[in-house]
Amino acid sequence: MTEIWGQFKSFDGKKFEALDAEFTREVSSLLGGKDLTACFQCSKCSAGCPVSDKVNIQVHELMRMLLFGIKEVLETDMVWLCTTCYTCQERCPQGIDITDIIFGLKNMAFKKDISPPGYIAARKSLYDQGRLYEPTEWEREDLELGDVPELNVEDTRKMLDKTGLMKLKEGD
Amino acid sequence: MVQSYEVFLGCAIPNRFNNYESSMRAVAKELDIKLIDFDGASCCGTVVLKSIDENSWLALSGRNIALAENRGHDILTPCNGCFGSLKDTDHVLHDDETYRKKINAALKGLGLEYTGKAKIRHLVEVLYELKDEIEAKILKPLNGLRIAFHPGCHLIRPSNVAGFDDPELPRKVDELLELTGAKCVPWGLKLSCCGSPLLITSEDIATNVLRDKMISARDASANCLVTNCPACHTQFDVQLIGMKDENGESLELPALFVTQILGLAMGIDQEPLGLELNRISLDPIADILGI
Ligand code: SF4
Ligand code: SF4
Repeated sequence: MTEIWGQFKSFDGKKFEALDAEFTREVSSLLGGKDLTACFQCSKCSAGCPVSDKVNIQVHELMRMLLFGIKEVLETDMVWLCTTCYTCQERCPQGIDITDIIFGLKNMAFKKDISPPGYIAARKSLYDQGRLYEPTEWEREDLELGDVPELNVEDTRKMLDKTGLMKLKEGD
Repeated sequence: MVQSYEVFLGCAIPNRFNNYESSMRAVAKELDIKLIDFDGASCCGTVVLKSIDENSWLALSGRNIALAENRGHDILTPCNGCFGSLKDTDHVLHDDETYRKKINAALKGLGLEYTGKAKIRHLVEVLYELKDEIEAKILKPLNGLRIAFHPGCHLIRPSNVAGFDDPELPRKVDELLELTGAKCVPWGLKLSCCGSPLLITSEDIATNVLRDKMISARDASANCLVTNCPACHTQFDVQLIGMKDENGESLELPALFVTQILGLAMGIDQEPLGLELNRISLDPIADILGI
């Protein structure tokens, strides 16, 4: 099966005609995006990243694409293979909130339908049940644990309707 | 002094690590920590919902915080994912008025408001403060246990949000574990991610991240792995089953929760510690554990 995410695999032979300043501005307005232009490409982020040797585009390259306004960044595998470990953000000498920026990029990619299918299923369970997984009752009985407190799903749905969780994409 | 908290279990513990909850309750009881059931709790949203839509994540997570605040309680969670998500939400809502207003508008329909009064604490933070009490209760030392302790990312990073331990040289939970006579070995990839958030994206890559880590634990001659998070534990006690290195040698290592180790050393009954639910066999260290 071809994945729909991570299809931008290399810079080789690619030309980027117009660099999109509007895109850089949009990313700068994300949670954590404000210091984005301070990146001086030291690559310390990639040096400590647990997936650097497993991705096509590394995190310091992703940061440069953002600064240059290259929208194809949303199609790099680094966006969805970021484990959210925060090592890069902790260590960046320029104090850039790198991991938080990548969360914002995931939001942007999800809206454009560029996401691993697991996230679509997770969104549905969070909306329908307010949970990702259900309790395993027999184990709880064996250990004499009480019931997991009840959740009024109407409440969480009402709130998620307000934030528009199920209407993020054009087709929703 | 009796401390009390609303206990936020999250989704993963009741689903697959009820032994973590049960051993936490047994240890908390010994230490006079009162755990109140968290009525109406939803999922914390975790990095999954933050990846999909930040506003929905802040609302879902913010509602949980507001519920505890409304009842005048602080929150305790034994899960790094929930801790990270709730702390991060608290950080954003506390510092950013625009988000706070937006989220409070969504909470208003439910009769709730976030003002930031409820504290969010990880179980191990609270246990660390009770170090002396724990030390006095050690009855069955676990000499010979060589622990590769995995703190997990969201317990320590980003440090300005987590605010628990040194992000580059965390030692607090190691200190707790060493009260039992066990040794926490230094290992190269201790601080590295376990890979569990990638299970939803690519199980192959999640497995490769885990394999790197296990080779590091083996190089440090650890005889077990200890965690304080059900998401990380999924990697070490479920995904690890059957994993081999490039020479075909098994990389399996017994995996336990912090509260199971402390509970054993404190001489707590084995039943509530739920050791028979640990999936990877504990046989190689059964003598040391006294089981
Ligand atoms: S560590 Fe910071 S400054 Fe260095 S390359 Fe990465 S983002 Fe840029
Ligand atoms: S947060 Fe993401 S990009 Fe940063 S080091 Fe961790 S995996 Fe790499």
